[in-house]
Amino acid sequence: MTALLPGLPPALPILGGGIALLMLCIAWHRSETRAILIALTTLVLAFASLWLPVLPWPGDPTGMLFVPDGWFTYIAALMLLSSAASVIMAWREAGTPADEFYLLLLLGTLGALVMAGSMDMVIFFLGLETLSLSLLGLIAYHRTQPTADEAAIKYLILAGLSSAILLFGLALSYADSGSLRFAAPSRSGSESPALPLAATALVLTGLFFKLSAVPFHTWLPDVMEGAPIPVASFIAVTSKIALFSALARYFAGADLLRPDAVGAELAIVAMLSMFGGNLLALGQVNLKRLLAGSSIAHVGYLLLALLSPGPFGMASAAFYLAAYAAATSGAFAAMRGASGLSDIGAWRGMFHRRPALALAMVVMLVSLAGIPPAIGFFAKTYIVIAGVSARRIVLLGALVASSIIGLYYYLNVVRAMMEPVPEVPRAVRGTTANAALITALAIVTVLAGLFPETLVRQTRSLLQPTPILHEAGLGPVAAHDMLYRE
Amino acid sequence: MIALPSLVLLPAAGGLAAWLSDRGPPARHLPWWIAIATILSQTLLLLFVTCTAGWSSGPWLAHFSMPWIPALGIAARMDMDGLSLVLLWLTTILSFPCVILSARDVGERPGLFHLLLLATIAGINGVFLATDLFLFFFFWELMLVPMYVLILQWGHEDRRRAAIKFFLFTQGSGLLMLVAILGLVILHQHATGVVTFDYFALADTPLMPTAAMVLMLGFFIAFAVKLPVVPLHVWLPDTHTQAPTAGSVLLAGILLKTGGYGLIRFVVLQFPDATARFTPVALAMGAAGILYGAWLSLAQDDMKRLIAYSSVSHLGFVLLGVFSGSAMGMRGAVVQMVAHGLSTGALFVIAGSLQDRLHTRDMRRMGGLWQALPHLSSIGLFFAIASLGLPGMGNFVGEFLVLLATWRISPPIAILGAAGLVLSAVYSLTMVGRAFLGSPHAGQDTDQTPPPADFGARQMTVLGLTMALLLVLGTYPQPVLDLSLPATPHAAPEMEAIHP
Repeated sequence: MTALLPGLPPALPILGGGIALLMLCIAWHRSETRAILIALTTLVLAFASLWLPVLPWPGDPTGMLFVPDGWFTYIAALMLLSSAASVIMAWREAGTPADEFYLLLLLGTLGALVMAGSMDMVIFFLGLETLSLSLLGLIAYHRTQPTADEAAIKYLILAGLSSAILLFGLALSYADSGSLRFAAPSRSGSESPALPLAATALVLTGLFFKLSAVPFHTWLPDVMEGAPIPVASFIAVTSKIALFSALARYFAGADLLRPDAVGAELAIVAMLSMFGGNLLALGQVNLKRLLAGSSIAHVGYLLLALLSPGPFGMASAAFYLAAYAAATSGAFAAMRGASGLSDIGAWRGMFHRRPALALAMVVMLVSLAGIPPAIGFFAKTYIVIAGVSARRIVLLGALVASSIIGLYYYLNVVRAMMEPVPEVPRAVRGTTANAALITALAIVTVLAGLFPETLVRQTRSLLQPTPILHEAGLGPVAAHDMLYRE
Repeated sequence: MIALPSLVLLPAAGGLAAWLSDRGPPARHLPWWIAIATILSQTLLLLFVTCTAGWSSGPWLAHFSMPWIPALGIAARMDMDGLSLVLLWLTTILSFPCVILSARDVGERPGLFHLLLLATIAGINGVFLATDLFLFFFFWELMLVPMYVLILQWGHEDRRRAAIKFFLFTQGSGLLMLVAILGLVILHQHATGVVTFDYFALADTPLMPTAAMVLMLGFFIAFAVKLPVVPLHVWLPDTHTQAPTAGSVLLAGILLKTGGYGLIRFVVLQFPDATARFTPVALAMGAAGILYGAWLSLAQDDMKRLIAYSSVSHLGFVLLGVFSGSAMGMRGAVVQMVAHGLSTGALFVIAGSLQDRLHTRDMRRMGGLWQALPHLSSIGLFFAIASLGLPGMGNFVGEFLVLLATWRISPPIAILGAAGLVLSAVYSLTMVGRAFLGSPHAGQDTDQTPPPADFGARQMTVLGLTMALLLVLGTYPQPVLDLSLPATPHAAPEMEAIHP
C-alpha cells in the first residue's frame, strides 16, 4: 500500500478502509459487537502501521501535503490510543443503535490524524472539518435527551463560527504569501505588515476556539456535560491533542520570542487559560464540568511549553500530552465504570463502595494535579524545566499559583470519595472491558511516573523546524544533541 | 550500598503488605502486627547501616547511586552523613510510639491506616537521604499525600479544613522550591553545559549574588513552611490539633524536622553567601517565632493546640541555630530537633490518650487527673518539664547551645530567645496544673461513669524508653553532637565509593 501512496502515512488509508468496511457492514446487518471489533481492529492496525516506513516524496518538497515525521508518529500514536480508549468506554453505553457511534469515532480519529500530519492549509482544514462534523454527530448521539441537543446546537454554532474565522485567516495568509503551507506567515518581506498579523490573529482565534483556550472556552463545559462520556473523553483528549499539535506545527518555524511575533499574545492566553480553567473547575459540582475546566487549564500549561523554545520546550509538551491523555481518559473511564455518575455528590463514599474504582480515580486525579508518583508529576516538572530554561518567569508564577487552585478541586473529589455515607443500593457496574481499560491506564500512569526515562527518550526532538523554512536546518536540534552528550 | 534505598522501600513494602492483609474483623490486628514487624526490621536495617557505614572515609558515611532518568541528568542518588543518620534514627524511634501506641485501636480500615503511616515514614526516610535534587523533591511531595489522607480520614471534628490547609500550604511552597531547583539546574547548565540534578555538582554552581538570593529564598520558603517559621506557620495549629494521634506524633516529631534538615542541607550549605546576607532576617524571624508561639500557647484551652503552638516556639530555636553561622549553633539546632521530636511526640501521645479517655481536649474540663490516672499524669509532667528545657534533658542542651551561638552574633536576639524560655516554663507548668493537678472538674461526673483506664504496660514501656533517651541526650549528648555537624557538599564522596 505504501508503494502506491508516496508521502502518505499508511495509517490514514488504513483508517479510511476501516471506515468504509464498517459502513458496508452497517448497511448489510447491524451488530454492535462486530462494529466495535472492526473499530478496534482498525485502530490497532493503524497504530501498528505507524512503524512502517513511509515512502519518500519523490518530487519537489514544497508540494508535500503530509509530513510523516517523528512528531506526527508520536501524536498519531497518542490519538489512536485515546480513541481506542473512547471506543472501549462506548461499549454497551452508546445506546441503540450504536453502530454509527463507532463509525463517527473512527471518522473523527481520521480527521484528527490528518490535522496532525498536514503541511498544507487545505488538508489541515479538511481534517479539522472531518473531526468537527463527526464530533457534532457524537455529541448529539442521545438525541432524545434535551441536554444532548443543547450541547450539539452550542457546538454546531461555535464550531461553524470558528471554522469561518479560521478559514478567513488562512485565506488572508494565502493572499499575503501566495503559499498554502500551513505555517505562521513571516512578517518580514511582506508588502503590508498588517496582513500577516491579521492572518495569524484570525487563525489563532479559530484554533483557540476549538482548543477551548480562555477567552474562547465558554462552550466546553456545557458541551462536555451534555455529551456521552466516551465523547466527552474524545473531545477532551483526542481532539485537543490534534489541535495542540496543529498549533505547534503552525509555529514550528517561527521564533515566538521575537518582539514582533505573537508570543506576548500567546502568553496572555496561556495565563488566562491556567487561571480561567482552574477557577472554572473550582466551583463545579459536576465531574464532567470539572474535567472540562481542568482540561482548559492543561491547555494553558501546554502553551507555556510551546512558548519555551529550546531543547526542552516541545519535548516537555509531547511528554505532557501523553500524561494528560492517560489521566484524562482514565478519569472518564472511571466515570463510565461508575455507571456514568457525573455528580460529585454521587461519588461520596465511593471508597467504601467500590474501593478499586475509587483508587483508580485517585490515581488519575493525583496525576492531573501533578503529585508523585503519578506521571503528571514528572510531566509538570518537565514543563517547568522548559519554562525555567526559557526564563518565562511570569508564566511560571501563573503555573504555580493556578496549580494550587487546581489541587483544591482535585483533592475535593478525593475527599468526597472518602467520606462515609450510609449504604446505598449498589450501582450497575461497568463492562469488563472498561474495567480492564481503567486498570491499564492506572498502571501506566503510576509506572510511567516512576520510570519516565523511556518516554523522555521518545519525546526528544520530535518537532523539527519545517525544512523549507530553515535551509540551514541544524538549529535547535544540534544544540539539543550537544546538550545530551553523555 | 543497597541498604539506603531499602530504608525507603522497606516501609513502603510493609505498608502495602499491611494494606493487603486487611481482611475484616477476624484478623483485626493483623495489619498492626505487620506494621510492627516492618518498623522492627527497619530498626535492624538502620542498625546494619550504622555498623557498616564508612566511618573512616570522611564525613559521608554511605552512598547509593543508580541512573533513573539519564536523559535529564536525574539519578536515584542517596548519600548519608551524620546528620542524616541522626534524623533517620529519630524517625525510626518515633515510629514506635506511632505504631504501638496510637495505631492499634484505629477504628475502621486499619490496613489503609498503616499503609499511609508507613508510606509517610518511607517518604521521610527518602527526604533525609536523597542527594539528587529531583529525587529529594519527589520524596518531599510523596510524604504529603498519605499525611493528607490520614488527617482527612481519621482526624477530629474540623479535619476537612485542616487537611486541605496543610496540603495547600506545603504543596504550594513545594512548587516554589521546584522552580528554585530547576532555576539552579538551568543556571548550572548555562555555566557548565551539563544538565544534572546532582546535589554535589549543583552546590559548586557559580552564581551571581542576586540569583543566589532568589534561589535561596525559593528553598527557604518551602522549608520555612514546614519548620514552621512564623509568618508561614498558620497551617500548623489547625493541622496538629485535628490530626489523629499517630498523625500528630508523625507531624510534630518528624515531618517538621524535614524543614530543619532542608534548611541545613539545601539552604545554608548550598547557598552560603546568600545565607550570610539573609541571616539578620532569619534571626529576627526565629526570635519572633519563639515569642509568638510561646505567647499564643499561654492563651490556649485546647491541649493539642497548646502543644502545637509550643512547637512553633521551640522550632524557632532551630532557625536561630541553623542561621547562627557557627558549628555550635548548628549542633544545638540538631539536638533541639531530636529533643523536640521526642518530647513533643510524647506529649501528643499523652494528649491523644486523654482525648480517648475523656473525649475532650479542653483543659477547662480536665483537672485533678493525677488521682485517677497517676501513671499518665506523671509521664505528662515529665515531658512537660522536658519540653520547657529543664537541665538534664535534651531540650536544655539544644536551647543552651543555640542561645550561646546566637549571643556571639546578636545579643538582643539571644535575650529575646531566652525570654521565650521563661514563657515556655509558664505555659508548660500551667498545662500540667490545669490538666493533672488541682481539684477534679465539677462537671466530671466520676460517680456515674467508671474511671478512665490508666496507662498500661505497653504505654509505660514505650514512653519510658523515650524518657530514657531524652535523659541520655541531656546528660551525654556527645555522640549526637559529634554526628550532627553536616558534611559539606564540596567534600563530595569519592567516585569509586558511590557505586554499590
